[in-house]
This record gives sequence, C-alpha cells and structure tokens, in this order.
Amino acid sequence: QTPAASEARSRAVTGVVDVGARGTSGSGDEARYERYRDLRTGVFSHLVFGSADESRIWSAGAENVGYRNQEYVFRYAGGPVTLKGGFDSTPLNYSYLTSTPWRMDSPGVFSLDAAARGQVQGRVPGVVGVPSSVAQLSTPSIFRGLANPFDLRSRRDTASASVAVDATRALGWSLAFTSTGKTGSQPYGASFAFNNANELPLPIDHRTNDVSAGLEYTREQGMVRLGWQASWFTNAIQELIWDNPLRQTDTTPFDASGYSNGNGPARGRLAMAPSNHMAAVNVTGLYKMPGRTTVNGVFAFTTMGQNDTLIPWTINNAIANPSVYGTYPGLASLPRPTAEAKVHGVNGMVNVTSRPNRVFSLTTRYRFNDHRNLTPAFDARQYVRFDAAPYSGGSFSQNFNIRQNTFDTTAAFNLRPSSTLRVGYTFDDFDRTGRSFSDMRDHIVRASFDQMGNQWVTVRLSADHTTREGFGFSEASLEDGGLQPGVRFYDESDRNRNRGTALVVLTPASFMDVTFTATAGKDIYKGEGHEFGLLNNTNRSLNVGLNVSPGEHASFGFSIGREMFNSLQRSRNANPPGTDYGSWTDPNRTWDLTNDEQVNIVDVYVDLAKLFRAFDLRADYLYSDSDNGFVHSGPRVVALSTNAALTPGDSRPCTAGLTSCFEALPNVTNAWHRVTLDGTRYFTEKVGIGVSYWYERFDVTDFARVDLAGTALPRIDYLGEINTGYGNRPYRGSSIFTRLLYRF
Amino acid sequence: APARPRQVSATPAATAPAAAQGAYAGQAACLGCHAEMDYKGTLHGLASRPRTPAATHGCESCHGPGQAHAESGEASLIRNPKKQTPQQASEACVSCHNRGTHALWTGSQHDQRNVGCITCHSVHTPKGPAQLKAASQKELCATCHRPVTNKQHRFSHMPVREGKLECSSCHNTHGSTNQSLLKTGTTVDESCTSCHAEKRGPYLWEHAPVANACVTCHDPHGSNNERMLAAKVPFLCQRCHVTSRHPPTVYDGFVRNNSTNANKIIGRGCVVCHSQIHGSNAPSGKSFLR
Repeated sequence: QTPAASEARSRAVTGVVDVGARGTSGSGDEARYERYRDLRTGVFSHLVFGSADESRIWSAGAENVGYRNQEYVFRYAGGPVTLKGGFDSTPLNYSYLTSTPWRMDSPGVFSLDAAARGQVQGRVPGVVGVPSSVAQLSTPSIFRGLANPFDLRSRRDTASASVAVDATRALGWSLAFTSTGKTGSQPYGASFAFNNANELPLPIDHRTNDVSAGLEYTREQGMVRLGWQASWFTNAIQELIWDNPLRQTDTTPFDASGYSNGNGPARGRLAMAPSNHMAAVNVTGLYKMPGRTTVNGVFAFTTMGQNDTLIPWTINNAIANPSVYGTYPGLASLPRPTAEAKVHGVNGMVNVTSRPNRVFSLTTRYRFNDHRNLTPAFDARQYVRFDAAPYSGGSFSQNFNIRQNTFDTTAAFNLRPSSTLRVGYTFDDFDRTGRSFSDMRDHIVRASFDQMGNQWVTVRLSADHTTREGFGFSEASLEDGGLQPGVRFYDESDRNRNRGTALVVLTPASFMDVTFTATAGKDIYKGEGHEFGLLNNTNRSLNVGLNVSPGEHASFGFSIGREMFNSLQRSRNANPPGTDYGSWTDPNRTWDLTNDEQVNIVDVYVDLAKLFRAFDLRADYLYSDSDNGFVHSGPRVVALSTNAALTPGDSRPCTAGLTSCFEALPNVTNAWHRVTLDGTRYFTEKVGIGVSYWYERFDVTDFARVDLAGTALPRIDYLGEINTGYGNRPYRGSSIFTRLLYRF
Repeated sequence: APARPRQVSATPAATAPAAAQGAYAGQAACLGCHAEMDYKGTLHGLASRPRTPAATHGCESCHGPGQAHAESGEASLIRNPKKQTPQQASEACVSCHNRGTHALWTGSQHDQRNVGCITCHSVHTPKGPAQLKAASQKELCATCHRPVTNKQHRFSHMPVREGKLECSSCHNTHGSTNQSLLKTGTTVDESCTSCHAEKRGPYLWEHAPVANACVTCHDPHGSNNERMLAAKVPFLCQRCHVTSRHPPTVYDGFVRNNSTNANKIIGRGCVVCHSQIHGSNAPSGKSFLR
C-alpha cells in the first residue's frame, strides 16, 4: 500500500454508536434513584467519535441526548493548539413526593390561601394551621388539604470551552471560559417563629461565568506562569417573600414575643444569595538547581466582593412605622443601602525539594495565606427577629479574618532501594479575628514507611500526631454570643489528634492481588476550662480486597469493608444567667450525647470478556449500610427519665402524671444495594447488540422523617412545622437497556 | 454501561541504573523489537506538537539514547522506568510535564510518598482517560484511598458514582497551593465556592466556620446524613452552640413526639429557621434567620 493510503486509513474516523431503548420502573422515593441522572423510559444514546494520527487527534461524544443529564464533549489537539469544549447537564432530583400549600405568584414570591389563613388567625374551632400539640396531629392542618404535589428538583447546565496554544517551544498561553446556569428549586427553610417553622421550594435561577487565562514560559531549567482568573455570579432571585400560615394580617401592635409564640407578621422576607464576583492573579514558578534541587512556588492575590442592595429591616408594617422608630431609632433607616462587602486574599507558597543523593532527600515548604475581610461593620444593635419583633440586643457585624503561616519539612531516607522512611514536622499558625481564640497553633509530627519494588508485597504505613494549642482566649466573646463560658469550638479548641493508616498489597501471583487497608484516628478536645462542645471523636476502618485476572479476558474480585465512627459531646440545658434559679450553672442540667455509627461496604464484580465467541458479560454488586446510634446520658437525662427532679423554669411538658419525659431516639439505619449487569454480543466485526440491567434498593429508617400514618408517604404538617415532605425515604428502582451497537 | 469498581495494584519498582548515555538509535529501531509499545494515537505520538516525544527523539525521549541497547540487546543499557524508583522515573516525565497543572509536582504529597507518574499512568497500555492505569479515577484512587472512595456509596454524595464528577474535579493530584491537594483556590471554602458560587459571599453576616472551611460541617466525599453533613442535625449544631434555651435542649424522642420543638429534630432541623446558615445578606440576618 502507498504512504498516502496508509495515511488515509490512519485518518479514518473511529467510534461507537450505542443506541437503544431504556425502560425504568420504581417505587417509593424514586427521585433518589435518579438523584443525579435522568433514567426516564425512552431512547438511550452513547456516541463516541474520534480520529488520531501524527498531526492531530480529535474526539467527540454525546451521552443520553435530549435528557436532563445529557452531555457533549469535544477535544482537539493538533500542532500547537489544544481545544476543548463541552456541555453538561446534571440534575439534582430531591423528591417526586413533595407537595406544598404555597403558590409561587412570581419568582421568589409565595402566597397561601387567604381564606385559610383567615380561619387560622381567627381561631375558627376545628381548624389547625401549624400543629402545636399532639391532640392537633389527629386533625390535619387546613394547609395539608390545600397542598399541591410537585417535583422538587434542580438542574445545573455547564457549557465550557478552552484553548491552549504552544506559541513557541518555550512560550504557551491558554484561555478558558465556563458558564454554569442552575435552575429549578430546592427545599429551604422560611420560618416565622419557634412554633411556626416552614419549608418552601425555593426557586433557583442563577448563573456563574468563569474566565481564566494563563501565559507560560518554559525552559529546561524551569518555568514561570502568569495566571488570571475571574468569576461572576449573578442571582436572578434577590429575595424570598412568603405568606405566614398563622397570620393573614400583621400582628398590630407587634407582639414582643412574636418570634416565639407565632404572633408575627402576615409575610416574611429573606435575602437570597447576593450576586458576587471574584478575581485572582497568580504567578507560578519552577526552577531546577544543581544537586537535584527544585524550587517551585506560587504567589496569588485574590479579591472577592458584592454590593447588592440590602432589603429593609423587615417587611412587617407593624414594625416599619414611625411609632416604633421612636423606641427603636436604629430601625428608622439602614446604616447603608448596599452591602459593600469585600475580601482580599494573599497567598504565597514556596517548596524546596532537594535530593542530593539516592539515600537522602529533604522537602521544605512555607505557605502563607491571608484572608482579610474588608467589609465595613454593619450596625445592627437593633434589628428584627423573624420579621416578628424588634430587638435591641444586637451588635455590629463581625469580620472573620484568617492569617495562616505554615512551615513544613520532611526528610526521607531510602533505607534500601525500594524502602523509604520519612519523618516530618509541620508548624501551622492561625491568627484570626472574631473567634474565641485569636491564635491557634498546630504542631504535627509524622512518619511514614513505604516499601515498594518487591514482587510480592507493597507496604505503605503512615502515622501522625497533632497537638493544637489555642492562644488569646476571650471568654467575653463567648458571653457576647450567649454561650456557656465552658464551651470550646472544635475547629479551634485545644486538641490532640492521632491518626494512622496501613496499606498492604500482596501479589502472590501475577494474576492476583490482595489488598488490606486499615485506618484509625482519634481526636481529643481538651484544654483549660473546656467543659462543653465536642469532647472527642474516633474513626476506624478496615477493608480487604481481592482481584483475580486468570486470563486476558476474565477478571473478578471483591472488596469488603467496615468503618466505625464514634463521638462524644456535652451540653447544658439551661436558661440565660439571671433568668431563673440559676440553671445556667446547674450541673444537673448537663447532658452528653454519644454518637456511634457503623458502616459496612461490599463490592463484588465479575468481568468476562469474550465469554464465548464475541459475548462480553460484566456484573457488579454494591452494598453499603449504616447503623447510627444516638445515646443521651448525664444528669439532665436522668432527671428527665425519672420525671422527678425537674428544676424551676423547666418548660418541658412532662407533667400530667408521666413517669418519664425522656424517650431514647431510635437508631438511624439504611441499607443500599445496587446490581448492574451488562452483556454485549457482536455478530460481526462492527455490529452487535447489548442488554444492561440496573437495580437499586434503599431501605432507611430515620426519626427526622415524618410519614402519614400507615404509609411511606410524607406528612407535611407536623408539630411546629409545615414542610414540603422532603426527607430520607426508601426506594426501589430498576432500568433495562436494550442496545444496538455499531463500531467503526 | 455501568462502571465497575476494581482495585488496581500500585506498580512495584526496583532500582536500576538511571539514564542511558550515548547515541540515539531512532524510533524505527525500537519498534523493530518492541512493536507492542507503539504509542501512536496518543498525545505523545503527536508529531505536529514541538514538545512531544514523536516530535523529538521518539521512544528515546523518555527512555534515553538507545543505540548501545539496540546493538547489544543489553537491558541495562536503556532506561526502563518500571525498574527505577518512582521519583527517578518521574524525572523523565517532569522534564516535559513541568507546567500547567504539573508545575508543583516535585515535593508534592504524592511525590513525597513514592507515588510516581507511572504509579497511576501508563504510556503504553492505559485503561482510562488521561492514560490512567484504571478505567476511571475512582477506581484508580481507591487503590490507596479506599476509605475515601467508599464514602461515595453513602446515600448523601456528590455525583461521582453517577459519572458527573471525578476525583480531579476537586483535587489536583499533581500538586496544589491549597490544602488536601485541592485544585482551586487557596482555602477549602474557596475551592468549594468555585462551583457553589452562591455561597461565596462575602456576606453582611458570616458564619465563622463557613468563612474558614466548609468541611467543618460537611463531608464532601459522602455521608449518611442529609446534605453530606458530618453529623446529623440538630446534634451537629449542638457541638458548638451551647448557649441557652433551645440550642442545648435534649432533643430526644419525647420532644420529637410531643413538642412544637419537634421542628428542630425532624426535616431540616436547626436550619429550617436558621436557613441562611452559610451567611446572610439581610440587615436582620444576624442569627441567619433572614
């Protein structure tokens, strides 16, 4: 054959056209089966095209064309140019069992039936608005009867394109653009009072446009890159306004306890996520020095900001009027009309890695990160709670600045050519504002051992110990927030952390490997005066896997694992200082919660290519479960359990002759099974058929879910709440695909 | 067809002499004996691109000058990455892959732990995209990070098992300025808000852990709690909020079944009222109620 013919053949387009029909059926909470995908009965498609030769490579593909999870990709590389592009849709299906009595009149504005609200406000006998007692649960809320079903879901559509060009052997540039739109709705809290909590299908309509550009200069000894990134987020829905199920008119004059007893406004208003922008410039460098020493590093400067128009203090006209401003002058006007929020960030990092010989190497890193919030303090010493009641116990807004300095060094010793021992130390210093500790420092020592290169066994071991110390503790900052002085936040408190991992891979024969993975970790939160909050947590896991490939066309194996998590936290059920007999400091009010979770995971697969003739069979079974326990204990729980030592000021309704007003929570459990089978048979070199089958089953028990009596369907009206019915519910789902395959 | 999780062994490596020295034999000579190692059709084979092996010394771009090896057949006279330590083997790769997302490879976490380029990638017999040695990133990364990849099977998870995201959507395994090899930004929250831009703010009222690290409350790899929370609400919130009245209430079965405070245990828990928990832009948003 001639060179021209050879080139023509190499330029031929190859690919696969895999099209067919899909049928899906399910029961229960089917949206979870389709959580991030669209499996509706209909046409299935999977298309791949491409071509490659010495001058260019390109490929294109499409998945599930026309459906809510459709995807298209294109890539080209030829000469100095690389092009990439694509479009992807990712659905997020929350629930198809949801319903709501609110109607969306316009994006972000929800109304409730006026007559029903009037009956509830007028306390018409027999009419229940938001159930507030067990007795009322037997009478459905008037809003349950008005609720309309709807699919609660959203979708993220992402279009992207990028180009990278090697202008010369040393100089290259790149440009990328991504536009992401998200539409649909999500469950969202929109409440009026402690006894009047609501959940609505919050509409989503926003877009993020991201642009990045880079210019790189590369030589054998190193490189330097100048980069720029920018991002603009635009939210088309600036606020959420919704009707109160308990009030048709504003409570006039306002009730100072309206945030608690429900005597609030006719409507509420929430500020939605602000439109915002971010930009960053960075310089990245790499330089190779003698002695196998490399220096690389980055310096970056980032700005973020938003200046959205602020909504008023409240939508409640019983508060937003001059007569109230006489008592609450701070509510007469906003301190400023827009947010004026901005953050500057500075980040730098330098790595020096030196491997002067085959025995020893040293890696040292310094990292600096400064997150500085420059938003002017906002005066909210007077504000409005739940749109229901003005309040004078507010404050100025507070900025959380973080400056982090990290020094890290690791020495490695190659004990044998294939065995390496590493020891390292990290010092992490956090300097912050707005927190109870103004400074915290981590000292981390660690060691690892890696044995590779042995034909039979690979071993990876690591362990680290972290000591965290907090400095500049401010008890006043806790008291300003109404917190117990003995509480410590687990993301900043003094802490000892120990962690270890072990990975062993045995390869007794070239066609088989056995993998053991074990991890363990324990955090102990401690420190002077630490009484409340998270006290400790532990985690352990063990996993065993086997892979066997007895021949070129067959493989099978399994992986089985167990993971265990445990935590202990302590709290005190008390009223503020000075409000009662002194429960704030009463140790009999202290209680503990132990949380234990055990997770089991199983994965079994069989892959038989060319089982007979041109028949390929693949099968996979996945299983994951969880058993999560919540055990309360401590003096407060003992008192509640005996119903004998309840202290003055106790509001729990456990009188009426009850022997106990404590009920242990049942464990939250789930078990998920997935089976996938895939068979293909090619009748000719190019033409074949395929059949695939997917099955999933999810069983779950969860005390956070409320069902209609005797059903697995959601109840939307429950004690203190009208919600959408979104919850953690079981499902079963299966799909079958019949496919026609054509490869070329 | 559905993806099939599978473990992939890390490639053992032994030591061997480093780069061969001497004259080049030419690619035709190499393929004369090693035809199965042809890399045509990959980006390495793109002769029109100045920096690729195909545009320079072909096979010998990575394996070193091979005339002596070709003439004698002596294996030790050619550089074989599989017989080098991972770091030695990677030196050949990073002589070209030293920019873009690879610029910070040397000294990165994987490099330090003897994970080399060819631990994960195969130039000649790849099974997945980006010349990975497994069919997917999840499959490959599970080799060492099984407890992490297992979390994808929790009911509350990112769309990784559905194929819409992969490990590299968030992580740059080749080195990063961020912690945990996060690809974007310089802090955890900057990484998360690169997609969840609606939570980027900055807000008028900020929640301290949100301004620091989303992972204080969320486990992005998967969880058995709604919204990938690290613990179940309201107990997660109670780990910090030991104030007065309702936050430190003993939320037990009695409250759930008998009290209007049940709305703090069922459904969304605390965030049914504190719905702006990621930050509020409302003047009255101090407690994230508006």
